[in-house]
Amino acid sequence: MYRQKLYASLKQLFKKNTMAEAAPSSSGAPSSSPGASNSIPDEETNGTYDCNICLDIAKDTVVTFCGHLFCWPCLHQWLSTRPDRQMCPVCKAGISKEKVIPIYGRGSTDNKDPREKLPPRPSAQRSEPENNSSFGNFNMGNLQFSFGIGAFPFTFFASNFNLGDARPGNPSAGTQQHQEERVLSQIFLFVAMFFAIWLIIA
Amino acid sequence: MANIAAQRIQREFREVIKSEEVAKCHIKLELKNDEYTELKGEIAGPPDTPYDGGVFQLDIIIPETYPFNPPKVKFITKIWHPNISSVTGAICLDILKDQWAAAMTLRTVLLSLQALLSAAEPDDPQDAVVARQYKEQQSVFRQTAKHWTYIYAKGPHREAELEAKVSQLRGMGFEEHKARVALSTCDWNIQRATDHLIS
Repeated sequence: MYRQKLYASLKQLFKKNTMAEAAPSSSGAPSSSPGASNSIPDEETNGTYDCNICLDIAKDTVVTFCGHLFCWPCLHQWLSTRPDRQMCPVCKAGISKEKVIPIYGRGSTDNKDPREKLPPRPSAQRSEPENNSSFGNFNMGNLQFSFGIGAFPFTFFASNFNLGDARPGNPSAGTQQHQEERVLSQIFLFVAMFFAIWLIIA
Repeated sequence: MANIAAQRIQREFREVIKSEEVAKCHIKLELKNDEYTELKGEIAGPPDTPYDGGVFQLDIIIPETYPFNPPKVKFITKIWHPNISSVTGAICLDILKDQWAAAMTLRTVLLSLQALLSAAEPDDPQDAVVARQYKEQQSVFRQTAKHWTYIYAKGPHREAELEAKVSQLRGMGFEEHKARVALSTCDWNIQRATDHLIS
């Protein structure tokens, strides 16, 4: 709906067409609305910014590195239809989710798109001017190292000695579920012990 | 999704109607139902080919997942071509299979099929019999294709010699199309064609 309004105002701007007043009230049904009769001449004059897949004015616009324009929902569906062959629908150049550039026109931020369930457009890439990649890498390695050792005993204790138990109560003794859980917990304990011993030896 | 398919076909339909190829009677497109799921295409046989002057009708079915998957296209008009089945009309063309791209349209599909009639790919055949003839006996192939175009696609070039052979087999009690297929398959050798029909 918003798009149609935008489209209508564009029409007013460029064509100074008084007919455009009818378009904002259109309900989206192309067959019956008064805007439908206008849409045919519009296509002739204004196809430059049409999505190459739905052939409509592109919404959530993205452009590929090879320069072809699409709606992001259309392009995403194309890419997910053939995950093994990711190519531009127009020129068959190799493309991928990471290799498309979103286009942000003025007024696109307050565009409340009803189809939020679709995957969001890939974000634009913006590289920082100074290069500090070596520092970043060092930080990363350090973090991973401390996590690997630090997390182990907590999870071990938490899972095997039921510290701070917030789980549902144990099933009453004698039931089959009780039996199964006992066996399971023994298996997990055994695996955990084995892992601990293996860590010490290694 | 059916919605995007129908919307796109509407646009494409208008595009084809307005295109200059339609103006020159090279291609044609008709709707078969109001849901934009079935269409009838028509292409003119390209000049300097055995199909010159013929008009070939196509059956086009738009899948619900269009344009992310190609339309299903086959020939209604019988045709003698290495990449088109002489029996079913099924087409072997990469863009109707794995080389389909969502930016292609019915117009480009029809034009591609026209190009296929000009340039066959005998190494990737749909009809092995035709492909063999195309590779081994080019002149017989051209004659046969011309004859089929005349009979089934309103082509202008009569092949009187081939017609006589068909009527000869008809005189023997064989059905006309079956006789034509047998003769075409056996490079217009009457003896072999008769054996082929009997076996």
